Amino acid sequence: MKRLIMSIFCIHLAIIFMAATALGQEKSRFDKNDQCVICHKDLEAMPENFEESDIHMQKGLSCAGCHGGDSTSDDEEVAKRKGSGFIGVPKGKAIIEMCGKCHSDIAFMRQYQPRIATDQVQQYAKSFHGQKLAKGDTKVATCASCHMAHSIFPAIDPRSTIYSLNIPETCHKCHSDEEYMKEYNIPTNQYDKYVKSVHGIALLEKQDTGAPACNDCHGNHGAMPPGISSIGHICGTCHVNNQAYFSKSKMAIEFEEADLHACEECHGNHEIQKTHDDMVGTGETSTCVECHDEGESAYETAEKIHTELIGLVTAFNSANVLLKKIERVGMDDLDMSYAVKDAKQRLLSARTLVHTFDADRVKVKTDEGLEFAKKALAFGKEELDELDFRRFGFGIATFFMTIVLVALYFKIKDMERDE
Amino acid sequence: MGLNRRTFLNTILGGGFLGWLGSFFYPVLTFLVPPKIPEANVQSVNAGAIADIPPNSSKILKFGRIPVLLIRTKTGKFSAVAATCTHLDCTVQYRKDRQDIWCACHNGTYNLAGRNISGPPPKPLNQYVINIVDKEVLISKPKQVG
Repeated sequence: MKRLIMSIFCIHLAIIFMAATALGQEKSRFDKNDQCVICHKDLEAMPENFEESDIHMQKGLSCAGCHGGDSTSDDEEVAKRKGSGFIGVPKGKAIIEMCGKCHSDIAFMRQYQPRIATDQVQQYAKSFHGQKLAKGDTKVATCASCHMAHSIFPAIDPRSTIYSLNIPETCHKCHSDEEYMKEYNIPTNQYDKYVKSVHGIALLEKQDTGAPACNDCHGNHGAMPPGISSIGHICGTCHVNNQAYFSKSKMAIEFEEADLHACEECHGNHEIQKTHDDMVGTGETSTCVECHDEGESAYETAEKIHTELIGLVTAFNSANVLLKKIERVGMDDLDMSYAVKDAKQRLLSARTLVHTFDADRVKVKTDEGLEFAKKALAFGKEELDELDFRRFGFGIATFFMTIVLVALYFKIKDMERDE
Repeated sequence: MGLNRRTFLNTILGGGFLGWLGSFFYPVLTFLVPPKIPEANVQSVNAGAIADIPPNSSKILKFGRIPVLLIRTKTGKFSAVAATCTHLDCTVQYRKDRQDIWCACHNGTYNLAGRNISGPPPKPLNQYVINIVDKEVLISKPKQVG
């Protein structure tokens, strides 16, 4: 009897588990009577990367929705007969037309996603890829090159080839292929450079989805290399103050006149590294000396800015080291930590102000930072003095305790002798 | 009359005992005196009188170890959020012109409730509870949900 009850209990448990698992998974709306899939599966001729959880499959759009044909017939001749709309495997422009048929029609698309954009085809036509395709180059990327053909997921889905963390890999497929890119005469080391850049490390190693991938600078459907006039605006999307200061500086005008690439001239493009204070100044790693020579006023300005920054960095580092010491010895670090935070904030502002190329403006901020760093050091010194006082007090207490114990020992000896 | 052994011992014992008492009670007494620095683990902070905080303004307050951004909107309502950006720990600021919260480091934006609305910040800023008591603004810890 016990066995029977146990068996019933286990079967119920299994059913509940299976039902819960099924509910948690994407339910395929794939029509089990779809003859395209039945035959292609039997023949083991399913397309590469086919996923039943593909967004189109999920919404009930099966093979015939894109390829045409009669999906109700199990006879290939009938299914692909003339007049059935069968288009086979589309290539080049036909892919754009096929996807655009639905994706450019808001009346159709809004039933699935009311806020969806329907200008992808228009944008694509103005992209480098689209322009090349219009001229008959079928090697360029079309919709399926980036979105895939049979495993399409929304951009917010981590399985998607256009999910922010996967975009560099998606572009890299073609753009790092030397053989494939040969005829275009463009570099193929962008990905290798990007993965080592501050943006690449943030996105791919630290999984910071706020960090820019290829499309954030080049665009999505309208992908193009950014022009000289747009580089500053693109970087300024995130580095807003740097761009604002630069665009109002006299250097911006000189850059424009000399056809220089704004941010890119000092920071590079795909290989942008984390900035450091020696990028400005007159040292070996300074970018200023690439254009300015000793004796020029700009050379002196660069030197002044560097001196100001290094002065604050040194004071900030001293305060930070002392803060760590205060934390380690368990003293009160509250006021000091606020002062260090304030100094750090001024340091960040001063570094941003470098883009004004105005040493006086940088100095105002570094002076403020130095005040906070001094304040932090003073708080730290107070805490260290307090620590010394406590240690001294502990030493005194131990001394007196030892004296009392020794004296007590001799006193007891004396008392024993008297008895 | 020379100092004999017994007197010497008694003096040492008495003096040592008094010294030990002093060194024992000094820290006890200093502990009983309120500390000059507020406790780090605070429950609420008085941000001052309402009249001292004009509409469409903000200020950063120390809530224990956490800097908090107190905002008074154009309409006079108060809002308080953690002042540290959830992206890379820069200090956020109230933008009077746009009436939102902005991080200058990477152009991240939050609404006045601390919800991240654009740019790189991956999550909202913690929102603090505001209470008005006797025309003074009191900021308390965010309510724990669940």
